[in-house]
Amino acid sequence: MTLNDKKPILQADDPQNTPIGYVIGGGLKANLFVRLTRPAHEVQEGGFVVLESGNWQFYGLVTDLQLGAVDPRYAEIQNRERLSAQVSQLLASQTLYTNLEVLPALMLERGPEPGTEEYEKWRAALTEEPRPLPIKTVPTHHAVARLASAGDVAEIFGVPGEGANFEIGRTREQDHPVCIDLEKFVQRSSGIFGATGSGKSFLTRIILAGLIKHNTASVLVFDMHNEYGFDDTASDTGMPVVGLRTKFPGRVIVAGLGRGAHIRQHNPDFHLEFNESDIQPEDIEMLTRELNLRETTPTTLEALVQTFGPERWFHEFKHMVNGAVIENDEGKKVPAPESVAYWANQAGVNPMAAEGLHSKMSRVFNLPYIVEDDPNQKISVNSLRHIIEALKSGKHVVLSFGDYERDLDYLLVSNLLTRKIREAWEEMTNQYRGKDGAEPRPLVIAVEEAHKLLNREMASQTSFSTIAREMRKYYVTLLIIDQRPSQIYDEVMSQLGTRVSGWLGDENDIAAVLSGLAGRDALRGMLARLQPKEEVLLLGWGVPMPILVKSRRYDQAFWDSLLGKESRRDAAQSLKELGF
Amino acid sequence: MNPIPIGRLLRANTTGCALGCKVTQGSTPSFGDMVIIPLTNQNKIYGLVYDIHIDDDGLVNQLAAADISREIIEDNRRNRNVPVEMSVAFIGWEDPQGRVHHTRVPYPPLTLDEIFQCDDEEVRKFTQNGSFGYLRAVLRNPELPVVDLVTAHLRQILAARSGIDAGQALEASLVEVIAMLKDDYPQMMDVLSAVSEIL
Repeated sequence: MTLNDKKPILQADDPQNTPIGYVIGGGLKANLFVRLTRPAHEVQEGGFVVLESGNWQFYGLVTDLQLGAVDPRYAEIQNRERLSAQVSQLLASQTLYTNLEVLPALMLERGPEPGTEEYEKWRAALTEEPRPLPIKTVPTHHAVARLASAGDVAEIFGVPGEGANFEIGRTREQDHPVCIDLEKFVQRSSGIFGATGSGKSFLTRIILAGLIKHNTASVLVFDMHNEYGFDDTASDTGMPVVGLRTKFPGRVIVAGLGRGAHIRQHNPDFHLEFNESDIQPEDIEMLTRELNLRETTPTTLEALVQTFGPERWFHEFKHMVNGAVIENDEGKKVPAPESVAYWANQAGVNPMAAEGLHSKMSRVFNLPYIVEDDPNQKISVNSLRHIIEALKSGKHVVLSFGDYERDLDYLLVSNLLTRKIREAWEEMTNQYRGKDGAEPRPLVIAVEEAHKLLNREMASQTSFSTIAREMRKYYVTLLIIDQRPSQIYDEVMSQLGTRVSGWLGDENDIAAVLSGLAGRDALRGMLARLQPKEEVLLLGWGVPMPILVKSRRYDQAFWDSLLGKESRRDAAQSLKELGF
Repeated sequence: MNPIPIGRLLRANTTGCALGCKVTQGSTPSFGDMVIIPLTNQNKIYGLVYDIHIDDDGLVNQLAAADISREIIEDNRRNRNVPVEMSVAFIGWEDPQGRVHHTRVPYPPLTLDEIFQCDDEEVRKFTQNGSFGYLRAVLRNPELPVVDLVTAHLRQILAARSGIDAGQALEASLVEVIAMLKDDYPQMMDVLSAVSEIL
C-alpha cells in the first residue's frame, strides 16, 4: 500500500479540481507560500490559483517558484549511482520540494457544504450575495491549493458575453476565458504597454473591436502609423491584418489628415484640415521642444493674441515677413510695416524674440493641412466638426496620419483635436448636469506613442494630461498605447485604471507600469518573463485582480466569435445594405 | 507461527529481550528475522532479531586448542553450558482480539517464555496494519545496527509478499524510513544504499 492509497493528503472540495499543493506559510504583507505536491513544471509563474480554507476561498497569482530541500545535501548530491532508481526517486520526492509564492488578491465566502444544515443556516443569515472581496485575512496552514477552474475564473472575471464582459484572453494552464468589463474599462483611462514587437497593436485592435462591438463608448483613434483603419500587413509575418473599418463598415469612419490623403492606397471617408483660427497659443507652446522655442515664446504669443485676436493671430503672424526693411526719409533702414520687427516694436515685444519665433514657426506655417479660413471652403470648416458630431452620434473615428508621420504632426494634430473634443464634451456635460441636455456619450481616445504627449515636460501643456486626470467626470478617457511607460508622467500613470502589459525589458518601464499597485514587487519579474505576442498581464483598478493571460489572436476566429456570421460578409455588401 | 520454538526467554524489558537457544544453524532465525512471543494473557509480542552471539565457556576454551573428534565437536555444540544468545528488539504486539499495535509492549514476557519464528502469514499480518511506524523503534534506538537490521527486515517483508503487494509494501516502508531519517543525512544514505542492494 502506498502512502497515497492509505491517506489522501489533499482533496479539493470538488473532486474534479486536482490539488496542486497546500499552504505552509506567509502572510498578507509577504506573500503566501504553498508546498507543491505536483511536478514543478505543471505550474508556471502567473498561474491563477485558489486556496480552499474552511468556508472561504482565496484567489491569488503565482509570482515565484522556489526549489528547496530538507537538507542541502539532498539537492547538491545526486544519488542515482549509489541508490537504486526506485529508492532514489522516493528519496527525491520526500526531501526535495518546490514552493510556490502566491500573491493573494481576493477572498470569497462560499459557506459550508451545500445541502447540509449548516449551509442552510448560513444562507439564511446572509444579507447579500457573497462576492469577491479584497483580501483581508489569510488561509489556514495546509489549506488546499489548486488551479482555478472555469467556474472560479468566471466568478472573478465574469462570463464572456454576459453584460459588458469581453473576453481578452485565456488562462495559460487550463485555457479558461478571462474577461474585462468594458463598461468599467471606459470609466477611467487605461493603458496598453509592451516593448516593440510585443503585440501591442494587435492587442489594441482586439480591445478597440470589443469597444466598437459593445458600443459602450465612442472611440477616436490617433492612428499615427495607419494601422487600424484599413487593412494592413503584419510587419513581422507579412500576413494580412484586417482593419476596423472593414469589419465595422458604417460604424467606423477613417479620416485622413490633409486634403488628398491616401491611406494604404485607400481613400479615407473624409479629409481633416484645420483652420488657421483653430490654432491657439497653447498649441504652439506645446511644441516647445519640437521647435526649440525660447522662453520668450509665451510672451510673444500673448502679444500676438492681444494685437490680432485669438482667431486671427496665426494668420497675421504667418503673413508677416521676417527681416523686411525699408528706407525711411532719412535713408536709414527701418523695419517694413509688414515685417515681424515692425509689429514687435509696436507691441512692445523683443523684435529678435519675435523674429526667432516666426522663423521657428515656419514649419507650422507650411503645414498643408492648416488652411486659411474661408467660408466658401466647406471641407476645412466642417471636417473638425464632422469628427466631433460623428463621435457624439455613436460612430467611431480612426484618424490616420497618412504621410504625416513626424512628431510635429502627431503632437500638433492630436493635441488640437483633443482640445476641441474636450471643450465639446465639457459643454455637453455641463448641459446635462444643468438638466438641459442628454447624458454625453462616453468617449475613449486611443493615443499611440503616448510618451510623446504625456511625458513630464509636456504633461502640463497638453489636453491629454487634463483628460487623464480629470476628464472621466466629463465622459472622456484615454487609452494610451506605449512602449516606454517610464517616460509617461507618473501623475498620469497613477490615474490609469486598467493596465494591460506585454513583455517589458527595461526596469524603469516595468516599475512605471506597476507604480501604485499592491504587490508590485512580486509582479516585477513576471513582466520581464512574459512571452512576447502571446502573454499579457492584466492589472489595475479595472480588473478584480492581476492575472496573466494568453492574449487572443487577432484572426478570423476572433471575428467569428465577436461578430458571428456577420464577420464573413463582404464589406462592400455591408456598405451597400447600409445605403453607401 | 512455526510450531517449534527457537528458544526460551532469558531476560526482558518493554523494549526487547534476550533468548537462549540451541545452535542448529538450519532452524534458528537469522539476523533481522521477525519472531513472536505468545504471552499467558493471550497477547503476542513481535520482535526483530538484532544480535546473535555465541559465548565461550571454560570447557570450550580448553577444547579449542585440543585435537578433538567430530563427535566431541558436535556434542559440545549441541549440549552447551552457555546457550546461544539472541537479542530481540520489540516492534509491536497483538491483543487477544487479534488487533496489531505498533507501539511499545504493555509488559514484557516472562522468564523462560517460548519464542517462535514468524511465518510469512504473520509477517504479512504485522506489516499490513496500515503504516510502518513501528520502524521508529528500530531507527531511533542507538544501540541497534539500524542499517543492517532495516535492510534484513525489508528483505523478509519482500519474501513474505509477492508482486504488486510487495512493491507497495516496500514503497510504504521506505517512505516511512525517509520521513524519519530525513534530518540525519549520513544515516539516511547508509540505510538507503544498503536497501538498494537488495532490490
